[in-house]
Amino acid sequence: MFLGIDVGGTHTDAVALDESGVAAQVKVRTNHQDLLASVNEALEGILATIPAQNITQLNLSTTLSTNAIVQGKLEDVGLLVVPGPGISADEFMLCRDYHVLTGSIDHRGSEIERLNMDQARAAIAACRKKGVRVFGCVGKFSTRNPLHENSLRQLLGPDGGEIADAVTLGHELGGRLNFPRRLATAYFNCAVWRVFGAFADAVEKSLARLGLSHVRVNTLKADGGTFPLAQARKMPVQSIFSGPAASVMGIIALCDINLDSIILDIGGTTTDIAVFVDGQPLVEHDGIHIGSHPTLVRALKVRSIGIGGDSAISVLGEAVRVGPNRLGPSQADCVDPGCACAAGARPTLLDALNCTGHASHGNVDASRQAVAEFAHCHSISPEVLAQSAVEAACEAIFAATRELLGEINDKPVYTIHELLEGRRVVPKRVYVMGGPALAMKEPLRQRFELFTVVPEHSGVANAIGAALTRNTASLELFADTEKGVMFIPALRHRENVPRTYNVKDAERDALNHLLAHLSEMGVFADRDNAQVNNASSFNMVSDGVTTGRNIRVKCQIKPGVAFTLTGGGR
Amino acid sequence: MREAKNSLGVIFFPAFDWCISPTHPEREERLLYTQDQLKEEGLFDIEGIVEHKPGVATREDVERAHFCFPEVEAVATRSHMVAAGGTKTAADLVMTGRAQKAFALVRPPGHHAMKVVHGSRGFCNINIEAIMIEHLREHYGKKRIAIVDTDCHHGDGSQDIYWHDPDVLFISLHQDGRTLYPGTGFPQECGGPKALGRTINIPLPPGTGDEGYMMAMQRVVMPILKDFKPEVIINSAGQDNHFTDPITNMNLTAQGYAHLTDLLQADIAVLEGGYSIQGALPYVNLGICLSMAGLDYSGVREPGFDAVKHGQRPQIGEYLAKLCDALPEIYFNPPKLEHMASGGKIEGDWFVRHKDIYYDTDGISEAQTESLYLCDSCRGLLKIVSRTTKNPDCLGVEIPLGACPACRERGLALYEEAQAKGAYRYTQLINRVDRQYLRHGF
Repeated sequence: MFLGIDVGGTHTDAVALDESGVAAQVKVRTNHQDLLASVNEALEGILATIPAQNITQLNLSTTLSTNAIVQGKLEDVGLLVVPGPGISADEFMLCRDYHVLTGSIDHRGSEIERLNMDQARAAIAACRKKGVRVFGCVGKFSTRNPLHENSLRQLLGPDGGEIADAVTLGHELGGRLNFPRRLATAYFNCAVWRVFGAFADAVEKSLARLGLSHVRVNTLKADGGTFPLAQARKMPVQSIFSGPAASVMGIIALCDINLDSIILDIGGTTTDIAVFVDGQPLVEHDGIHIGSHPTLVRALKVRSIGIGGDSAISVLGEAVRVGPNRLGPSQADCVDPGCACAAGARPTLLDALNCTGHASHGNVDASRQAVAEFAHCHSISPEVLAQSAVEAACEAIFAATRELLGEINDKPVYTIHELLEGRRVVPKRVYVMGGPALAMKEPLRQRFELFTVVPEHSGVANAIGAALTRNTASLELFADTEKGVMFIPALRHRENVPRTYNVKDAERDALNHLLAHLSEMGVFADRDNAQVNNASSFNMVSDGVTTGRNIRVKCQIKPGVAFTLTGGGR
Repeated sequence: MREAKNSLGVIFFPAFDWCISPTHPEREERLLYTQDQLKEEGLFDIEGIVEHKPGVATREDVERAHFCFPEVEAVATRSHMVAAGGTKTAADLVMTGRAQKAFALVRPPGHHAMKVVHGSRGFCNINIEAIMIEHLREHYGKKRIAIVDTDCHHGDGSQDIYWHDPDVLFISLHQDGRTLYPGTGFPQECGGPKALGRTINIPLPPGTGDEGYMMAMQRVVMPILKDFKPEVIINSAGQDNHFTDPITNMNLTAQGYAHLTDLLQADIAVLEGGYSIQGALPYVNLGICLSMAGLDYSGVREPGFDAVKHGQRPQIGEYLAKLCDALPEIYFNPPKLEHMASGGKIEGDWFVRHKDIYYDTDGISEAQTESLYLCDSCRGLLKIVSRTTKNPDCLGVEIPLGACPACRERGLALYEEAQAKGAYRYTQLINRVDRQYLRHGF
């Protein structure tokens, strides 16, 4: 039996399920001061009906790293930066112990200027003096040649040694090019390393106490995949913002999606919009932003807008609007049956849905009363107000979806073939989930004019998604046959290759290394789920003679679920 | 944290699936390292710098600017239409206010493509700047436009297209034509009878470095631009004047290029040549982008620069100082038509010049007779008769923007008569007044 726990902003959801369906589900309030308590509470709730020995796997989606960053509970990090020429590295000063070192590597991976080792030693000594114990070493073009980062690694000694408890090297974060993002990602990884490690220890201790020490534990990532807890301890930054991904994966588990589709997850405060192409969720091109810092953390492409069941209705001139403010729960939720709502109480989208007859949630009379009073204040009829509010919400969701699709279809491409024959994303279906999903189904169908589905269990789709999400991994391979090297930064694998090495060899090597890496982590990955996303080979010419090939390959285990629960939708 | 002072739209299109031939300088690999550098620097994460996808130019976009014989599709491949479309996108971004400045980082280039196109010259088939300028005029009503061509080769195509146009100022800074393709671009080439002084050529001696370029910019280009007061400034930003370029002999650096861009303050820049794809382009393009966005570019430095080896010899400075004294005169006091050395004479109401053009990339020879009707009330009707080793007699008639009714009638009659007589294999009419683009002879 698979167990999934999604620690969300408001609630912590947990489900236990197998191929036959959901066996148990629990919803508890999230305690932000003590996330472990929420996890324990959810676990205990599940164990009340499910015997511990039946559970084989636990997938955990947690806001721990996110919270640590938002609340500024970050450890001091020593950043050793080798920027070389270009945009000044002073622009990216992320922390106090930020040391810019001399040295440079160019776009081909040739060393242009040697790393200044004396400067590096002095920087490390300065960090030690301040008691800094975690370090990030990041160089420009280190994904082409990690020489300088590796030299710094050697100076810092082993993890847990005299100088450092943990070191993050820029190239280990993946092969993508973007020095500022690599820098920010390495910084955040270091900054949450200790707090995540402590949390992982505590979770493991709890599991042992509850008789679940035999369970495989995975952590959710924002890209719609999971990775083993042991791996998450090394790369905690990857566990950030996994919440929306859990919901999207839930939809995959609950519905058979094979067309271009839109996924709407309507919550209390926000609606998350995601797009599926050929039945697969789209992944963000670059990576998510943490605060104002763009990073290399891969994530599903999800757009959030401030419209949810608890969004307040407002009237501005003739126009009725919904959100983005959330003024507490709806009247339907907060007024006890039989009581009148407070004077001047502001109705919300959910109240409007109660009035239009799309929903009958909670205290319908309170909704009616609040809408009528608010309508009276603005001299419009309650029916018109309720109707306009629902329409306005649908319109806002529709507009945001269209904008997102526009962005996806306008994504830059680099070949004539893709530009002229590239495929445009044209959604055929809308899947709606979250609290107000059923009530919003009909109004959304009318606005989108597309077949609209609300899957069963849509209220705990996030936890179902968490439970069933498979392991994913991705890597980039870079080969230069003129130099005779092949390099996979994420795996720190570098080997010599012959001049005859070509793109087919590179694709094969990339996939083999990816699968071998997963099996080293004790994860079984089906070769069928491994795919090459991108492979290119350029002939390098100098003085009219071909001197070698410049090969780039990206591959991944595509996001997916262990099995689906397609009981049908409504 | 970081924000561009000027919002900048970059249309980056490296055409990774197109080349002239596998080892030709104009090949797939050309913008690969530029892309790597811009990505690694995180350029597009800077607030205000946005990457855009190019549009695709239409047949009409091309026919507004060129006579293509036998037709557009025969001389321009899909990659040319995309490069031209990229410049249109750049113009649209700036004109609609979505960006204050735009850089069309596209290939293949276009500044050697002349008014008449039979094939490829100097790696260029259609003139992507001219297509953009005519797009600006057609859709945004812009009239006065300046092109500053900083490619190391003389922009003879752009010069030819705007030779008779008094509203387009064309200034080219290039390596002296006596030492480099296409062998033209001397000061005495200064425009047709209706546009004297609106073509300015600044031939620089081989070995000119940052100082020489800055001198020419400050003493010739900027004062002329200040006086001309263009509505739009376009930079044909070829990067083959870099000291590492394999096919030229100049000593400009990435810093020099960024300085020049900073001084010029072009609204739109368009990539032209530049074939030092590893040693120059990544750094020069980064410098141009930062400079256009109003950001600090002082840290941009290419490997392999040697201040002694790549410095400018003092003799060059002395020569350039004299040149810079003389050149502004061509704009401010253009020579009288009768004193002009460069071809052409008046025959009746027409100004006629003969040209022999060689298409080096495609190996075509062309003999051309260009006639401009000397009209008192407009720019004048243009008639071109061309014969090549590829196409027999071709006729092009252009009724220019703002043509007077008489010239319009004259043009339409000329085109009709040519068809009635059947003396030409292919005929083409560009009628800008009625937006009519006709072809005949297939």
